[in-house]
Amino acid sequence: MRAKLFTLLSAVLLMVTVVLAHGDKKHVVGTVEKINAGSIVVKTADGKSVEVKLLASTMYVSRVGNEDKSAQLSDLEVGDRVVIHATPNGETLEANEVKFSTKGAAAAAKSKP
Amino acid sequence: MDTRDAATLSVRVAFCHWFPSPFVDYHEHAMSRSNVILLVLLAAVALAILAAASLLHNGLSSRATPTSFEALLARNARHLAIPADARKKQNPIAASPENLRDARLHFADHCAICHGNEGTGDTMIGKGLYPKPPDLRAAETQKLSDGELFWIIENGVRFTGMPAFGGTHGSEEDSWKLVQFIRHLPQLSTDERMEMERYNPKGPGDRAEENEEEDFLHGVPMQQKPESSHHH
Repeated sequence: MRAKLFTLLSAVLLMVTVVLAHGDKKHVVGTVEKINAGSIVVKTADGKSVEVKLLASTMYVSRVGNEDKSAQLSDLEVGDRVVIHATPNGETLEANEVKFSTKGAAAAAKSKP
Repeated sequence: MDTRDAATLSVRVAFCHWFPSPFVDYHEHAMSRSNVILLVLLAAVALAILAAASLLHNGLSSRATPTSFEALLARNARHLAIPADARKKQNPIAASPENLRDARLHFADHCAICHGNEGTGDTMIGKGLYPKPPDLRAAETQKLSDGELFWIIENGVRFTGMPAFGGTHGSEEDSWKLVQFIRHLPQLSTDERMEMERYNPKGPGDRAEENEEEDFLHGVPMQQKPESSHHH
């Protein structure tokens, strides 16, 4: 009887599993290929086009020199360099934050020694 | 005796068995009391089995979200656990931009790993907790008194992921400043959030990735994989 009880308890303990959380954010890095009404298409370094959905809660940050400044979607242009922090939702990526530097700003920063 | 009479009689017998008349003798009364105790014990065992079955059904996973009933019970238990005089305490720290900034950076460094810089609780750790951290901007949190928020920061909340910070670091002044910051969370600006990001604890991998992304924004060609998973 005791052995059965011990076996049952052991089985119960084995069933108790610790769930390890996994990071769920994706970083999409590349240049803006297209700006749609509700999404941005980013051309990544390996030549792929990745579409990221824009939400009302998406935050826009403009990188100027060594400073981050809050920005708007209208500040973003095709050709800008972007780093998008996005959350996968099914097959789509939803942007939490779009950080970008304009073509001019990136070129100016690159030319500095 | 028809079926209906038999049923009525059996109910009467059962009633007298469980709820004896005060005029029955001591022996009968004692027996009934022991039966009541047995009944209560059986009910407790049945409840325990139900609770265990419910837990095992969910695999004891902390991924689950507490039911609204559980949340209601927990909120009320927390409310009762906070002493009345602690609830009435007023924030002794003057509201100033300097104090708010101190609290903001303190929050970014100590609290944001679970609560997120915006206080939403939408973080890797926050999503994995049971119960999930509350949205600090929401009415359920904002309607707590300053004293209640302070007490929770100082003493934590048992059976949740909220630790007691009182006596382990900083001072009560820091906790009162955090109370001010929690009040400010619904109006957190993008600039404030960006400043907080610089104070969020990060591992070497995250730092390296962040530096590569910064370099990319400064015109350096991308060296790493174009898409990467990020654990925050």
